[in-house]
Amino acid sequence: MNYKHVLSIAVTIVLVSSMVIAGPKNYGKKLTLKEKTKVSDILANPEQYNGKKILVEGAVVDVCANRGCWIKVASDKEFESIRFKVDDGVIVFPMDAKGKTALAEGVISVKKYTVEELIEQGKHHAEEQGEEFDPSTVTGPKTVVQIMGEGAVIK
Amino acid sequence: MAEFKWRKWNNILHRDIGYVVVALTLIYGISGLAVNHIADWNPNYKIEKEIITISPITTTDREQIVAEAISKLNLTGEPKNTFRPDPETLQLFYDKKTYSVDLPTGNVLLESTRPRRVLFEMNQLHVNAPKKAWTIIADLFAVALIMMAITGMFMLKGPTGITGRGKWFVGIGVLIPLLYWVYYMNFQ
Repeated sequence: MNYKHVLSIAVTIVLVSSMVIAGPKNYGKKLTLKEKTKVSDILANPEQYNGKKILVEGAVVDVCANRGCWIKVASDKEFESIRFKVDDGVIVFPMDAKGKTALAEGVISVKKYTVEELIEQGKHHAEEQGEEFDPSTVTGPKTVVQIMGEGAVIK
Repeated sequence: MAEFKWRKWNNILHRDIGYVVVALTLIYGISGLAVNHIADWNPNYKIEKEIITISPITTTDREQIVAEAISKLNLTGEPKNTFRPDPETLQLFYDKKTYSVDLPTGNVLLESTRPRRVLFEMNQLHVNAPKKAWTIIADLFAVALIMMAITGMFMLKGPTGITGRGKWFVGIGVLIPLLYWVYYMNFQ
């Protein structure tokens, strides 16, 4: 096998892989729950769900642009969404997940943040997204509800 | 009994492992440079933002808002999904494009995202996004690098080898992370 064969095999692999039909894609651990919980129910009574494993479904409305370490899942109610956060590198969500539908499983985390902590988070988030951040927009303290992600299927 | 020529085999190992890991070393090296500067740029995606202006949308019915936005933006086809983060905003999700419409003003933020060619794939492999079999390949590559380092030290004998000036270069290489760590722990 000479180098020309190796090169043609490599080119073929690249071409074939680019033609693969995109179906549902699994990220992280396999989903274990069958019953879905409404995002609106979680946001209405966060303390009731704190520490519990849940499965939610909704449109992916935002993705961490730099590391792919979180997605925002739309609620079943208008003007609501919940963040599905994973540790850096555990799952890497692609930007093209934006707009697709996610089935996401994880543990609900409810945390209260001070104004200072919220400003720090805001700065970090703005840096990640390449956006401007105005600390004066932060009012607090605030309760943040998010899903500590374990696994997801994006379709 | 023939004498075992360990240095010959050491050099063969170093040479041949070196050939095998050329591509992987380049992938991890180039991607490492790109990801190191993640605070200054997005190494995976090229994200372009532009502002488009349409006339304000005053209707309050959700379906009408979506239809009006699609019509005013001259978009073909239905969006993959829609979302309203707040009462004044509508987001339309198309393939690699997101339109965020400010309903009262008609200002639209169009965000187009596309992966950086080749670099995106390199970074995905570097951060082990695929998991599964790639974890094994990445582990084997790490072992290969360790072997390259060890066999590399014993390739030459004499004044340019590890017993000659080589030991000083290895020493400098050991001191770089060691001294930096001391500095980082005490002065940063």
